[in-house]
Parts: sequence; structure tokens; C-alpha cells
Amino acid sequence: MVNQRVKPILVAFTLFLGLFAFGTKASAAEPNYVISTDATYAPFDFQDKNNEYVGIDQDILKEVAKRNHFTYTLKPMSFNAAAQMVANGQADGIIAGMAITDERKQVYDVSDSYYKTGVAWITKKGSKIKSLSELKGKTVALKSGTAASNYGLSLQKKYGFKVKYFNDTDTMYNDVVNGNSAATFEDMPVIQYAIKNGLDLEVKNPNNPGNAGGYGFFVKKGQNPQLIADFNKTLKEMKADGSYQKIVDKYLKSDQKNFTGSSADNNSTWGILRSNKKAFFDGLVQTIELTVAGIILASLWGMVLGLMGVAKSKFLRGLSTTIIYAFRGLPLMVLAFFIYIGLPGVIGTKIPAFTAGLLTLILNEGAYTGAFVRGGFEAVDRGQMEAARSLGLPYGKAMSKVVVPQGLKIMVPSFVNQFIITLKDTSILSAIGILELTQTGTLIVARNSQGFRVWAIIGLIYMIVITLLTWFSNWLKKRLD
Amino acid sequence: MSEEKQVKVHVDKVNKSYGDNHVLRDISLDVMANEVVVMIGPSGSGKSTFLRMLNQLEMPNSGLVEVDGYDISDPKTDINKVRENIGMVFQNFNLFNNYTVLQNITLAPVQLGKMTKEEADKRGKELLATVGLSDKADKSVNSLSGGQKQRVAIARALAMDPDIMLFDEPTSALDPEMVGDVLDVMKDLAKSGMTMIIVTHEMGFAKQVADRVVFFESGKIQESGTPEEVFNAPKNERLQTFLSKVMQA
Repeated sequence: MVNQRVKPILVAFTLFLGLFAFGTKASAAEPNYVISTDATYAPFDFQDKNNEYVGIDQDILKEVAKRNHFTYTLKPMSFNAAAQMVANGQADGIIAGMAITDERKQVYDVSDSYYKTGVAWITKKGSKIKSLSELKGKTVALKSGTAASNYGLSLQKKYGFKVKYFNDTDTMYNDVVNGNSAATFEDMPVIQYAIKNGLDLEVKNPNNPGNAGGYGFFVKKGQNPQLIADFNKTLKEMKADGSYQKIVDKYLKSDQKNFTGSSADNNSTWGILRSNKKAFFDGLVQTIELTVAGIILASLWGMVLGLMGVAKSKFLRGLSTTIIYAFRGLPLMVLAFFIYIGLPGVIGTKIPAFTAGLLTLILNEGAYTGAFVRGGFEAVDRGQMEAARSLGLPYGKAMSKVVVPQGLKIMVPSFVNQFIITLKDTSILSAIGILELTQTGTLIVARNSQGFRVWAIIGLIYMIVITLLTWFSNWLKKRLD
Repeated sequence: MSEEKQVKVHVDKVNKSYGDNHVLRDISLDVMANEVVVMIGPSGSGKSTFLRMLNQLEMPNSGLVEVDGYDISDPKTDINKVRENIGMVFQNFNLFNNYTVLQNITLAPVQLGKMTKEEADKRGKELLATVGLSDKADKSVNSLSGGQKQRVAIARALAMDPDIMLFDEPTSALDPEMVGDVLDVMKDLAKSGMTMIIVTHEMGFAKQVADRVVFFESGKIQESGTPEEVFNAPKNERLQTFLSKVMQA
């Protein structure tokens, strides 16, 4: 009988260890590079209508890999996270329309420039703002970590505008289109491409971009010199043999519908659903996988924390309180970044995004679960425990036969609540590039600029899943009674 | 004279404090087999704490507590084994809310491997008959009145077939008309020769059933003796004051 009680705890810990084991396996050395990229940076990096990652960067990278006989695993995510992944060794290189700057040369080794760029300042189309000085007191949207945002920031003092940060380009554009921000700074080729594709913005300085420079391919300083050498050699060859120009023309000259899909597909909710049904479905599956695994493991971990929280040992109680305090206090996204981007640099192994995301959910949701599990057990009258112990039942049996069943009943509504929160919290994991529903939506909007329709669809899918989850929880509740 | 009676409970110079509150001061007491000891005294006098120490629900700060020959003031003693032999009845019944009446009684014997489920069910029903609640076996405990709950609690304790029964103000939470039923069950138990230690405010019951009455006040045993000695010829001044107050009411 004792075994039966301990079993779930053992299972939980085994799974925990298993997660770390996964992380170790992925580090096995192969002639395979991990390359991170920005998921939403057309025409350099974006998803096409078939949900494949394409763009000038991607085509060049593909060619470099082919000609130098290496393979690579692509990690598309927000630019800031993608750059940090290289800086701390989680990825071998980054190609993401990343401008070559002196600051970046301190941290990275960089290839020759493969595309000329400079910073544009942009307002809504038809805006009356004509000079930077008219931005005084107004809000300017910036994308965190980019060279364009640093350029914008360097002008802030002089022109006295306020700054608001975004993680992806498309959300930043839309903030200007919607009038929430008065202007934005972005790389010239990127914004020109977006405007060409129908975005309601206009460039104010088309002929004199700020900080003119070039894009490069980056690796961590002192690491992977071969990769940089390969890139530079192939880039030269490609410029000579015309394949470079072909790639640029493919994205800048040809009909954009090749990438974004037909307007019939993009201008109706039904069209968007139909043309992206595989992406939506895959995103949904990933969200459900994260949610189910997260709910089960976080509940088990929460039970362990809760039981520790009412244990007789002062040490265990203190440990439980500390763990709950720490992980409840950490914002989910910070925890996800810490595990995915921060931890690997210290422990020396890469952690796959799904594992990192799941671990984040377990630790965060588990802490909340632990808190209400402890509360539930404490809400069971002390006399119940005393009566059980007085009959000679050992602590473990008294807990499992008397206190736990009564406590669980008290906790049922909290569990249902936590399940729903867990489902919603999986959306935050889009930040580390997990291709769940929210990240799927981000990528589709980045391509077709149909924010309203896409987010309405994504929202509806969440609501359907939450409804199903609520039904399931209520069914479970009835079974428990 | 017959052979010397067996000592069931041996307490020597026990002290217990909660912070600055010195609840028990140098208490010593022996209880013999088949003896019924009733402990009386004002609230906060330490009698409940003392009782709870006899099955280690409270641990003394110093002194010796031996029950059935086991030193239970030693944390290394396997208290679970000792507790199997000590029944405890609480003021607030503490029936397990997640079980039926019969399951409350059978849980411990089955879980501790004392009986099979069938044996425990049979024994449980016998005990329910003894306390006059045969018809309640499959009822939820929350459907019972206070008096019924306390009789189930007594049956639950008896199911482990204990040598000693401890009662912590078993009738204090009951409506007056329920008290009689519970006391009747306890009287029968005393007649059957059970060793009983009872904390109560029921003076009539004490007079009738007790072999010995012990008066607690300010964490000390101020006086002890037969019911006649304690109730009819109290020597201690505080006992006299206490009795005059209780008897008035």
C-alpha cells in the first residue's frame, strides 16, 4: 500500500529526470549547426503560404549549406531571443536581417555584409508629421534588440519622444497603423517590402537612411570560424555567378502572392482558415500537447509541493514554501527565457524548446498548484489527522486515507481553474519559438497582415479548447464526488 | 490479597510548556488496569493536555510517560504500535467525513492488517449494535446528530480492541438531551472492565463511575481520591471553590 502512495511521486521525479536526459541527448555532436532566425522579418525571414521559412536570408543560408556540405536546424523565434541564443551558445549562428554594428562585433564574429541597409523612420500613410522634431511627446514603436531600435533610441533625447517596445515586427507596424504609436524605426529594405505588400505606412527618409550599413551572418565570438569562412566564400561565389541576384529578385521583383497566398485566401476568414488549416492544426496539436503534459506534470509536482508544505519536517515545509515563493514570483516568460536561453550556457547542454517550455509550465503552474494543495490540506480539520493517528495509523496512511481525499475535494475548483490557466499560459511560450497556436498566429499575420481575422480565429480556437477542458473538468469533478 | 494489579499508565514528573505558558508542572500519576480515572478541573487547568500526552498527541518537555510498559516520552518509541492499544474519543468526535459510519469503524483495523474487510465489517456491525446505532451503518457521518456521532466515535476506537480508552470531554459539545446516551455507553464500558481515563465536567457521572477522581488546577494535580473523598470531603481549598461553582450551576 505504501508503494501505491509513493508511486506517483516517483513517476513525477522520473519524468523530471527524463526531461533533463532529453536535453543532454540533443547535444550529441553531428555535422549539423543550429541556426536561429527571426520568424517575422520579410523579405529576409518569414513563413510563406505553405508555412515554410523562406526569404533572402533563408535562401542564401540554404545555398551556403549546400555548397559547404553541412546541414542545419533552423530555430525561428523573436529576434531578441534568437540573437541571445547565439550569444550564449544555444545556437551556432544567426541570420536574421541583423545589421553589422560595432557593439555587436564585441560579442559576435560576423561575415561580410550580404545586403545594404540603413534605418528608415516611418509614420502612418498620410500622417501630418514631417520631421523628427514633431515627434516630441509622442510614442515611437521599437522592436527590442534591433539595430534600428538602437538608432531610434539614440535620437530619443534630441527629439523627446516616448518609446514602446515590441518583440515582432508585425505587431510593431500595426501599432503605428492603428495610431497607438506615432512612428517607428525599421530597416529600410524590410519596411519598403512591407509597404509594397500593402501596409498603410510611409517612409519619411527614403533617400537618406540613418546608420547606413549592411546585414551580416553572426556567430558567437571565437566560435565556429569555419562557418563564417564558408559563408564569406559562398557569398562571393554567389555574387559572381548571379545566384545571389536571383534570390534578391525572387523576393523583391516577383509577384508577392507567390509567398503570401492569393487575396481570395487572405481576405476572408474562411479563406485564411482553409489556406492555413495545416498550420492551425499543427499549432493546436502543439498547444494541446503542452497543455496536457503541463497539467499532468504540474499537478503531480504541485501535489508533491503541497504534501511537503504540510509535512511534519520543518525542513520540508521550508523547502516547499521557498520553491512556491520563488516560482510564483517569477513571470512565466522570464522563467522560459531563463531555462531556454540562460540555463544552457551554465550547464553546457542545449535544452529543446518543447522541453524548456514544459519545464517552465511545470515549475510555474506547479508552484501555484502547490500553494492551493497546501491550503486545501490545511483546510482539513486538524482533528481528522489526530483521530486517524490516535487509531495507530502511520502518518502516510492517515494522509492518504483521511486528509488527502478530503483536501482534494476542497481543491477541485482550484484545479479546474489552474487547468484553464495552464492552457492559456502555453501561449506565452511562443516567446521561445515553440510553434503553438499563438506563435502560429504571429507567423500567419506576419505574412498576410490580416491581424483581425487571424487573431479572431486563434481566439476562437482557444475558447473551444477551453470549453472542452471545462467540460472534462466538470465530468472529472462529478466522478470524484 | 490478590496479586498486585498491573500498572497501565505510569507518569512521572512531567512538564509541558507552550512558550511562557507552563501548562503542566511536575505531574505524576499511575493508572492501574481496569481502573476508571476521572479528571476534573477548570478550563485551562491542563487536564486535556495531560490526556493528549498519554497517546503522544502532545510531547512532554520533561518527565516520563509509560503506557503499557512503553516509554512514549521517548521519540524513538514506535508510537503507532502503542496507539493501536489506546482508544481516544474527542470532544468534537472527529469522525472521518469522507467515509460512511461503518467505514469509519473498519478503516483502521483493515488498514493496519488487524482484520480482513469481512471480519472488520462483522465486528463493526456488532459494535454499532452495542452503541445502539445498527441502522446507521451505511449513512454518511454528517447525517448523524452529535450524540450519535460520539457513539460512533467510541465504536471506532473500540474496533481496534484497545486496553485503554481516553475520553477528552466527550459530552461537552453535545446538546443536553444527547448526553445521557453517550454516558450510558461509557458506563457499560466501565462495567466491562475497560481501563478508562476521562476528562469531563459531568460531576454526577464522575461520582457514579469513577474509581478515582483527580482534580487539576494551574497545571498541577491538587487533590485525588475516591469520589466520596473528593466530592464529599474536599481538603484542597481550590477544589472546594471549584466544586461550589460547579454544583451551583
